[in-house]
Amino acid sequence: MLEVKNLVKTYGTITAVNNLSFSVKPGKIFGMLGPNGAGKTTTIRTILNIIKPNSGEVLLNQKPVTKDLFNSIGYLPEERGLYKKSKVSDVITYLASLKGMHANIIKNELDKWLKKLEIPQYKDRKIEELSKGNQQKIQFISAVIHNPELLILDEPFSGFDPINQQLVKDVILDLLDNGKIIILSTHQMDTAEKLCSEILLINEGKEVLSGELSEIKKKFGGNHVMFAYEGDIKFLNEMDEVISFDIYSNTAEVHLKDEVKPELFLKKIIDKVIVKQFSIIEPTLNKIFIDSIKNQKS
Amino acid sequence: MKKAITVAKWEFFEKIKSKAFIISLFLTPAIIILFSVMPTLLATKESDSTKTVGILDLTKEYFSDFKNEIEQYKINGNIPAYAILNNYKEDLSSDSLIKNADKMVIENKIDGYILIRRDDKDSIRVEYRSQGIGNFRDVARFEEAFNNLRIKRKLIEENANPALVEFIKNKVNVNQIKIEKPGEEGKGGFESVFFSSIIFILLLMMMIIYSGQMLVRSMLEEKSNRLIEILISSCTPKDLLFGKVFGLSALGLTQIFVWLLIGISLIGAALIPMNAFENIYLIFAYFILGFIFYTTLFVGIGSVVTTEQEAQQITSYLSLLLVLPTVFVISALQNPDSTIIQVLSYIPFTLPSVMILRVNVAPIPILEIVITFLIMIISIILVVNISAKIFRFGILYYGKMPSLNEIKSWLKE
Repeated sequence: MLEVKNLVKTYGTITAVNNLSFSVKPGKIFGMLGPNGAGKTTTIRTILNIIKPNSGEVLLNQKPVTKDLFNSIGYLPEERGLYKKSKVSDVITYLASLKGMHANIIKNELDKWLKKLEIPQYKDRKIEELSKGNQQKIQFISAVIHNPELLILDEPFSGFDPINQQLVKDVILDLLDNGKIIILSTHQMDTAEKLCSEILLINEGKEVLSGELSEIKKKFGGNHVMFAYEGDIKFLNEMDEVISFDIYSNTAEVHLKDEVKPELFLKKIIDKVIVKQFSIIEPTLNKIFIDSIKNQKS
Repeated sequence: MKKAITVAKWEFFEKIKSKAFIISLFLTPAIIILFSVMPTLLATKESDSTKTVGILDLTKEYFSDFKNEIEQYKINGNIPAYAILNNYKEDLSSDSLIKNADKMVIENKIDGYILIRRDDKDSIRVEYRSQGIGNFRDVARFEEAFNNLRIKRKLIEENANPALVEFIKNKVNVNQIKIEKPGEEGKGGFESVFFSSIIFILLLMMMIIYSGQMLVRSMLEEKSNRLIEILISSCTPKDLLFGKVFGLSALGLTQIFVWLLIGISLIGAALIPMNAFENIYLIFAYFILGFIFYTTLFVGIGSVVTTEQEAQQITSYLSLLLVLPTVFVISALQNPDSTIIQVLSYIPFTLPSVMILRVNVAPIPILEIVITFLIMIISIILVVNISAKIFRFGILYYGKMPSLNEIKSWLKE
């Protein structure tokens, strides 16, 4: 189990992480969410012992994270990059041996992982000759090849096409079955919604929401509908029934007042726009995210 | 420590495989040879064909005797070095005579001409007029010939014994011999000491500048693509710093080894003066100390760099410090005990190159060698600690260069 207790990190006058506490159990994916500049990266760097916190502690299986635990941690940073002029096998071997792996074991694991991610043919190619997606796969392999206890993935799916996203997702779920502790930091709410069973939403260094995703949805609750439409939807602003709404290209997610019946709301809007699809939904993580951040600001 | 070695191995093997390294391995000695050996060869090489030189004697007193004097210079003992032509004609004015002679030079009919005339105060003025002005040897010979002629005439005028003329003509030169042990003469004169010192300082400079740039650039790459975060979540910043310094030093040693091989084969070919390698152990020691000192400095300072431009600025500033001692090369050779050279011998930035210079010029007391070694070792330990601290924070510093105050606060942590 990973435990983060009362973490505080300041840069000059700016407090990047403000008294943050959470714990991550093995076998579940923990989603760390938050807008840009919320303090996600600082939190991750503190967990990794890249930077020292002003106060608070990070424990992995009851032991503070120091250089002795480096070999049990895998990390995929958000911004990707590898030694462009070097060979794929050389780069992975270097990063794996820095994680304390023996050369013989690396050899076997390297072939296994390249095969798993469907790129064995690139073993002896230079990194710069690979497509962006394939470079990301190499970086993903470097993060997991040493079979870490704790795996921190920062935006693992960005830059992958849907087929490769699926491939990487399957690999992550495999790792989960092996009892790994996995932290997923992302902006992609739909991915987080599908993968994470627990989430932590932070903003301006502080916790906004945290817990089991299903619990949060129940707690956030409310009367939510979603519909696909054609036409002008500005009138939603004037409707008394509506608490708030979000519009994605020709789809609207609306938070209705508790007493409003969804079918009556549908009757009202059907006169004003063409409704192509209408459903009663749980609030999406995206809606929860936006509303929580807005509430915190006001 | 194990991880530092992993880093060192990576830095060493990745860089040694790079095209840029292989090219520099052979290009650098080529450039150094060009800079140091070529001038020696060219400066002492005698022109191998007879030059046509005119004499325009407006005084009408010197032509035939002067011609005889000059014609005594021979190439390889038999071919005359100069063919002399008379540019004087009775019926022309001085101005048009000079103009005609100038024209002959411009049209390449003659290599140059010697103009002899009297100035307003009735004293003799001699000029050698030609298109180029670099022919020191020719001018020195004409000067010698003309003065010999004047002395001879004066002596004859005073009715002196003709034997006296020969006696005065034969000057005695003072030769410089460097003593290394009692009764044992050094092999080099000023020129060869000068060039062999320059060779080593140039080597040190190029190696430090080259590997420093390589280092800063590779750190910049790791920083800009955030690889650095993966690295320091795998090993400590100190492991990384030592690994980089070890790796680069090994690379530097490989470079020296290859260059020494080239150097030794050049001695075989007699292109480099033999005494360039006389004090090789001492030179080697200063060389390595200087290299490690600057490399560690580069790692620390290089870690705060965030763009390629800043990297270039910093490497060029540091390189300036390295180039500084070469300004004193001549003075160090002429007077190794001068105050400025003594002072520079104790400043870690200039110490290695100044000592490499001095080692070649005159024997250095054991005490001074020990003191300078200690200074270098203490400086290296200091720089390693400071660099490690700056490195720890610098590698995670993105966006803009940190201010001096920020760096100060890093050093305090």
